Amino acid sequence: MRTIAPQRPARQESDKFDRLYRDHVGLMYRYAYRLCGEAESAKDLVQETFLNAYRGLKDFRGEAQVSTWLYTIASRACIRMRRKRKGQPEHELSIEEFVPTSEGEFRLQIPMEGLNPEEALQNKELRQALDQAIEKLPHKYRMALVLRDMEGLSAKEVGAIMGVNERAVKSRLHRARLFVRRELSARGITHHDDHKSGGLRS
Amino acid sequence: MTKKKMPAKKKPSSPSSHRHTHGQGQCLDLLRQLSAFIDDELPSDICREIRRHLGACPNCEDFIASLQHTVALCRHRPVPPLTLADRMKMRRTILDAANAR
Repeated sequence: MRTIAPQRPARQESDKFDRLYRDHVGLMYRYAYRLCGEAESAKDLVQETFLNAYRGLKDFRGEAQVSTWLYTIASRACIRMRRKRKGQPEHELSIEEFVPTSEGEFRLQIPMEGLNPEEALQNKELRQALDQAIEKLPHKYRMALVLRDMEGLSAKEVGAIMGVNERAVKSRLHRARLFVRRELSARGITHHDDHKSGGLRS
Repeated sequence: MTKKKMPAKKKPSSPSSHRHTHGQGQCLDLLRQLSAFIDDELPSDICREIRRHLGACPNCEDFIASLQHTVALCRHRPVPPLTLADRMKMRRTILDAANAR
């Protein structure tokens, strides 16, 4: 009877990586795209993330969920890549800057009346305004918003990924939402019938 | 969409008819807690207090609606899918870089 030869460690490592890549590349691309706002930077970030994951795979003991581990690697890689690009310095958002100073400001609305979010986002102007608002967010606020509101992670998970406590996550998330709300509502976008005729941007 | 018409001034329904200066007092307190309120993270007595305030303050009611819309839009922001060709190309690049150590 033939015996099956044990797999060599390098082969085992490669198989493990292939499984990791196959099961999570879609998730990581979505996260990277949401953070970067465009495809090429997102692909760079995904590659950096999986390269680091490949190198760290043998030390991964499974204390955290695989997805949380990958989100953490991606978030750190994103910060490193951003530092290399030496963009504008980050600024802090304070609650005070979002306090409406007039009734009109209080009552600014986003054009969604009677539409669900998918329908509202068929409006190209609104979609672009949302993308631009998220892109304008200082990085740490954007990351909290993406992880919490778009990826749907809990504040505790986001805290573990970003290396901060839950309170800090909630504070950043709140400021990020207020920022995006102000950007969207202040644009004065009007509702039109894009949702009836137009498809989603590819 | 046309902007909402400004409704006629309502009298505060709360028994504590506080002077309603927006950007101060209760409205400001509310503003600080809106995300926690939307995410259902506040104790029930504070939620009750906030609901009472919202019922008496159309400005805050509008503000919270626009914040809820913002969160809903973020949750549904579309992401174009990754093509199979890109998936495979990226995998090759990663493995080449890993083996080039």
